[in-house]
Amino acid sequence: MLFHTPRFFLFLAVVLLLFYGAPRSWRRWILLVASYFFYMCWNARFILLLITLTAIDFAAGLWLARVAAGPRRKAALIMSLAANLGFLGFFKYYNFLASNVAMLLGLPVHAFALDIILPMGISFHTFQSMSYVIDVYRGRQRTITDPVDYALYISFFPQLVAGPIVRARDFFADLYRWRAPDAREQLRGVLLVVFGLVKKLALADQFARLADQYFAKPAAYPGWLAAWSGVVAFSIQIFFDFSGYTDMAIGLAQLLGFHFPENFRRPYLARGITDFWRRWHISLSSWLRDYLYIPLGGNRRGRWRTYTNLMLTMLLGGLWHGASWNFVLWGGYHGALLAGERVLGIQEPGSRWRWPDLLRAASTFALASIGWVFFRAANWRASFDILGRLFTGPHGHIVWPHWMLWYALLALLAAGFEEAGQWFERLPAAPAWAYAAAIAVCLFCLELIGFTDRAVPFIYFQF
Amino acid sequence: MLATRIPDVAARLGLALLFFFALDGLAFRTGYYASILTPDSTAGFLETYLWIEHHRPITYPRQALAVGDSRMGLKARIANSLTPETRLEFGTVAVPGTTPRCWYYMLREVDPHCDRYAAIVMGLDSYDDRGFENHNDRELDINYLTPLVGFRDLWAFASSYQSWPLRIHAAESVLFKGLVYQRDVQDFLGHPRTRLQIAAIQHRSASEWYYNSVWERHSLAGMTVDWSSRKLTLPGWLDAHKRQEVEDRLLGDPPPYSDQLARYRRRWLGAILDRYRGSRTRIIFLQLPRGPVVRPGAASDSSSTIRDFAAADKALLMDSHEFDSLEHPELFGDAMHLNEAGGIEFSTMVARAVNRMLTQAGR
Repeated sequence: MLFHTPRFFLFLAVVLLLFYGAPRSWRRWILLVASYFFYMCWNARFILLLITLTAIDFAAGLWLARVAAGPRRKAALIMSLAANLGFLGFFKYYNFLASNVAMLLGLPVHAFALDIILPMGISFHTFQSMSYVIDVYRGRQRTITDPVDYALYISFFPQLVAGPIVRARDFFADLYRWRAPDAREQLRGVLLVVFGLVKKLALADQFARLADQYFAKPAAYPGWLAAWSGVVAFSIQIFFDFSGYTDMAIGLAQLLGFHFPENFRRPYLARGITDFWRRWHISLSSWLRDYLYIPLGGNRRGRWRTYTNLMLTMLLGGLWHGASWNFVLWGGYHGALLAGERVLGIQEPGSRWRWPDLLRAASTFALASIGWVFFRAANWRASFDILGRLFTGPHGHIVWPHWMLWYALLALLAAGFEEAGQWFERLPAAPAWAYAAAIAVCLFCLELIGFTDRAVPFIYFQF
Repeated sequence: MLATRIPDVAARLGLALLFFFALDGLAFRTGYYASILTPDSTAGFLETYLWIEHHRPITYPRQALAVGDSRMGLKARIANSLTPETRLEFGTVAVPGTTPRCWYYMLREVDPHCDRYAAIVMGLDSYDDRGFENHNDRELDINYLTPLVGFRDLWAFASSYQSWPLRIHAAESVLFKGLVYQRDVQDFLGHPRTRLQIAAIQHRSASEWYYNSVWERHSLAGMTVDWSSRKLTLPGWLDAHKRQEVEDRLLGDPPPYSDQLARYRRRWLGAILDRYRGSRTRIIFLQLPRGPVVRPGAASDSSSTIRDFAAADKALLMDSHEFDSLEHPELFGDAMHLNEAGGIEFSTMVARAVNRMLTQAGR
């Protein structure tokens, strides 16, 4: 059940009606049942996996509450992490490891392969579970004693499939001090859902056609202009696809009285790769920072250790996205860029934009786009083939229809205005006509440009 | 607490919907966008026909309109050359691929007050309710009719389809024009100037092109059919594709009685008749020439929807054998369509027959 399908909106309407129509004590149950139903719409059998992981981490939390210190406390943590990483490793990385081992042994690639289906959202909910158990272990999170509350935290349908990765303290603060969203929050929620739909259907899916066309047959579009236009189309697609999904998730949660953290802050206006990672998939990058980079020592153990930690964090971050060498290369590429910025002593951008910042933003976008080649290409050979095309050969032609150039420019302009004025957050409090006009323009945009031939799944659903 | 604030939220969302429909209306419901649709598109094609009929100079008080699909081979130029004799001036909105559902909305568009024509002549394949296709669920009609259906048609148009996906699609075409025009709009955004130039040329010249167009000059003269062995000999100029088409059409099984077709005709032809009830316009049905050859022993059903209409005095029926004389290979360009010579003959005969029937009916 994809967020941008009529079926989901029917589901949402029923959930909202039941949720607000029911007595308050029933509401957690309603959300839990709805979330499990949502999950089971994808594959009913895997609900057992979700429940098992939930039970293990819930039990680990209770255990940690009973044991104040010592090896038994650590054992609870290790047991929980092993379960999460074990499940994640088996479902997501077994075939990758098996194929590499087979190749090393000179056997056919599929010699040890198993027919494994990747459970929906496993990368997200395992990270969420682990953050809870680690925080309880560190004494930064109170143990949750009600299994329904904990199960809801793991399975809450707006963020179950592709995040954002919500920290336990934020979620339970909302749950235990729940209040109905006020008018402004409701308006913000609706706006986010509509904006998310526009990002997904009218932008991501339109640019997906161009990216798919180019990446399917790069040789059919000779020239570096064609290569850059194909690659930039994917850059645009992946941003709008994932941030569209996230906007919808945040908006849906807000309509139910929950407040999810910001996950994207105009990443293509970043003025440096460090800045980019503060704006892109913020919930993952802050997770990696708090639970991997800092425990590894962060930047506290000297220059070389900092570079190593950055590289290690980004390599694992890359691998988190998918089990293939392409994602490892992508992570390594970003790790190298982050380390490179530190080596070169590139300063953090100031809060105010200056003219040279335009060049910094453009080069950051170009660097990020080069990275996306590893993300999108079928394998590392195809990645290097396309990277070669970006910098060699004749100029060729842009693969975009004329109007989409203007369309992309318009999106960039809108991002620029948002960066300068934070207009979006002001809209729910704006006069009724201004809010209504913004929604109307979004709907009109969806009507004219929304890709409705078929529901294209969100890219991050595969992770 | 929530309940007190819902009206504010609902009011804003209601206003947003209002703004949206205003935008949609400005863009697609004023008639301007329909006039610049790609002429090659289904809707653009139909719009061209309607535009021509709207802008056709009226030079004679007694007007007649031919309605039908591509088989309704009335050449207005030929029919109008007989105006001194028939006292009728013809226009035509016989649009390839259209069916009675389209005709209803097309007629509403060109004759909003039911007072423009003395006669509306509709060409049908057969007076019998026989056919292979289920017209009720004809998706193509949605593409044709998007510019013509408005909010008031929501229920009637959407419910005229039998399958739910098509009902929803039909409702979309009423409510969200942009959704159906999406590809056309994106094409327009890509090359706006070219599109406007094409539309201008189309408006300037289309009526001339259509009025003076010359149809297929070739004929099927020389074709023979051996019905016992179901063997067909065709003239050499036909390519393999056309040969196959002719064979399928002429040697295939005759269409069976279709309750669906009967229902469809009752609904849409009935709606046209109801619309003109009490007006000075007479609706005349004619049975089109069946083909270059007619299967021996082909007989008509004794009763059918069309015959029931005539019996109830709702419509006039031309003799079903009126055009039997045209069912010859030399007057057809393929298995279904009259060629240039056939069209000229047919148009002359229709003009005279309509005049005769109107005179008999006291009009």
